[in-house]
Amino acid sequence: MLLAPASARAQMEQEVKAAYLFKFLSYVEWPAAAFGGPHAPFVIGVLESEEVRGALADIVRGREVQGRPVEVRRLRDGETTEGAHVLFVGREATASLPQLVGRPGLLIVGEEEALDRGAMINLLRIENRIRFEVAPQAAERSGLHISSRLLALAYAVRAAAP
Amino acid sequence: MRLPGFLRRSVRRKVTALVVATTLAALVVTALALISYNVHDYRRAKLTEMRTQAEIIGRASAPALAFSDRREATRDLAMLEARPDVLAAGLYGADGALFAAYARDGDTTAIPVRAGRLGETIAGDRLDLVYPIVEDGQRLGTVVLRAQYGLRDRQLAYLLILGAAMAGALVAAVLLSAWLQRAVTEPIQGVADAARRVVDRRDFSVRAGRTSDDEIGMLADAMNRMLADLEREIRERRDAEEALRIVDRRKDEFLATLAHELRNPLAPIRNALYLMQAPGSDARVTSEARAIIDRQVRQMVRLVDDLLEVSRITTGNLALRRERVELRGVASAALEAVEPIMRERGHRLTVDLPPAGLTINADPTRLAQVFLNLLNNAAKFTPPGGRIDFSLEVKDGEMTGRVKDNGVGIAADMLDPIFEMFAQADRSLERTTSGLGVGLSLSRRLIELHGGRLEGRSEGPGRGSEFIVRIPAAGVSGPEAAGDGPGVVAEAGVRPSPRFGSQRTPPPIVTTPSRAEKLCRVLVVDDNADFADTLGRMLKSLGHQVRVEHDGLAGLAAARTFRPDIAFLDIGMPGLNGYDLARRLRAFPSTSGIVLIAVTGWGQSEDRQRARDAGFDEHVVKPLEMDRLQSLLGRMG
Repeated sequence: MLLAPASARAQMEQEVKAAYLFKFLSYVEWPAAAFGGPHAPFVIGVLESEEVRGALADIVRGREVQGRPVEVRRLRDGETTEGAHVLFVGREATASLPQLVGRPGLLIVGEEEALDRGAMINLLRIENRIRFEVAPQAAERSGLHISSRLLALAYAVRAAAP
Repeated sequence: MRLPGFLRRSVRRKVTALVVATTLAALVVTALALISYNVHDYRRAKLTEMRTQAEIIGRASAPALAFSDRREATRDLAMLEARPDVLAAGLYGADGALFAAYARDGDTTAIPVRAGRLGETIAGDRLDLVYPIVEDGQRLGTVVLRAQYGLRDRQLAYLLILGAAMAGALVAAVLLSAWLQRAVTEPIQGVADAARRVVDRRDFSVRAGRTSDDEIGMLADAMNRMLADLEREIRERRDAEEALRIVDRRKDEFLATLAHELRNPLAPIRNALYLMQAPGSDARVTSEARAIIDRQVRQMVRLVDDLLEVSRITTGNLALRRERVELRGVASAALEAVEPIMRERGHRLTVDLPPAGLTINADPTRLAQVFLNLLNNAAKFTPPGGRIDFSLEVKDGEMTGRVKDNGVGIAADMLDPIFEMFAQADRSLERTTSGLGVGLSLSRRLIELHGGRLEGRSEGPGRGSEFIVRIPAAGVSGPEAAGDGPGVVAEAGVRPSPRFGSQRTPPPIVTTPSRAEKLCRVLVVDDNADFADTLGRMLKSLGHQVRVEHDGLAGLAAARTFRPDIAFLDIGMPGLNGYDLARRLRAFPSTSGIVLIAVTGWGQSEDRQRARDAGFDEHVVKPLEMDRLQSLLGRMG
């Protein structure tokens, strides 16, 4: 991995991130009202990160989580995030982060110190691995509960948001 | 044949062995079942436990796998430290590659790099479990556990417990069987003991106690019944043997008596013949000798007749020739025959007969024989000058004849035995009567053949006796029996006729004494008057001085006064028998030197021995031959 070319490494990083997005679904509880019905799909909105969206679309194809199909939605800056259970904000769209904070859905960012800016989970590259840090209380404010099993794996857990 | 050790032991030990063997078999089967169940159950429980453990590890480490967090995964596996039986574990990713490892001893090199196929393998004490990690329907990876199977330790503990329980159960079974088996073995022991007592002591009166109601009780009953049968059969056989012995002894006695009774008349006949042949015997001596021979031959004929009757009775050939008989005729025949002895013994005979012409259906000869026998007995067993009543009547379809005397009578305990063959109420040597002991037995048989009864009565010894004959007389005809009293009453009162030689001087028979003979004083004592008198005559004819006596006491007195050199003594004599007479003579100084010679009809070896014991010098069996007499006298010289 260390010897891989930079572009290939970047692509793999995006694929790992996509996989993480999918796997987070298993460790987060949404309020029942967030779904249209018992078999309504999970909706993962990917904002301004085409590589991640593409990889994710490959991963979720034909898969179900907790009995629900998973749907990936491409979002552009300014587009509504309505109906998305997970919202991944790519590096290019971090500027619009302040508008997204407080919206329903799990807000996941891949940017240094994103938690300080209202993100619930932040994906980081540490020691050549993709790790994540979590702000469970931020999630709680949006009605979401993050499993302690996920917290146990987190690189860091932000105890209290400002 | 040697039986195997087990079969030779007592029932008690066999039962114990049986209980131990069956209990042991039951325990072993139970133990095997328990052990196999235990193996199976342990495997099931262990696998379930391990799967659960794998599931827990899998679930716990699912997030670590999902997010490829090796550190977290290793920490998850380290939870297994809480389980000492888990030796090693490995977590494998969805691609099957080892992701995290754990080893109890820290050496994780033995953990395979790639996960094997799902499932479990048990090899020795090792259990390898390969278990999938699935979350949300997604196969995340695999967990591999290697644990100590622990069956061996478990089985060891289990066997230890089982062994202890089996030992306890065996001890309990043996104790319980020892207590319970008494219900079985004690009755068997009882039967066996009884059997041993029977065999050891030949005692068939032993009985096995019945202690139970089961087969053993039945066995005891059966054995007791067999013993009872055996005991009865042995008793019967013993009784039969005893009866045979009695009969045999009677026969021996009878034969001895027969010989005696036949010799008794022979002796005077012999003597009479000597007298007749002696030179110088005149017509008077000859006629007297003829009278003696006539009397004695008649006696012998009677004996032979009796003998024939005995043979008829024993061979069952006694038969009747029944016809219409006139009772008076039958009675008269008997009376006629008995008249001489009545006259001789001076009895007064009263006769009461039915009227003439009264007939019944009977065998006249046999009926007369019975009356004659009864009358003869009465005459014989009544001291001279006695009173004898003979009555005959027919009344209520039955003829009754009675012969009653005032003679010696019969002891109560002899009333039955006198009717037995060869029986004689008085078997002593002093008895005055002679005969074979056949008469009453024969008479009773004859009356029974007539369908009647013969019974004897007596109020005791010395008080007379009565014999009663009853015969059914259905076909009575002629004058009514119970009519006008006694038809004929006859009385015969005759003085006894003088005996030969007594009260009169015998004519001298001149015989020249032989050269060797010394003239002696000779005493002759014999109750057979014909024999004593003729012997006396013979001795006198030889020139000896002779004294003759007819009973023992008179003989003893004569010996003391007459002082004989030699004495010829009969054995069976009234008053004092020959043996006692000899003893008394030997005991008295003045008579102890007499040469004593027993002259008797008893000729068996024991009779000779008795004579020697009593002090006789010689024992001579009648008849006494002249040669023998002369040789005996010759020894005196």
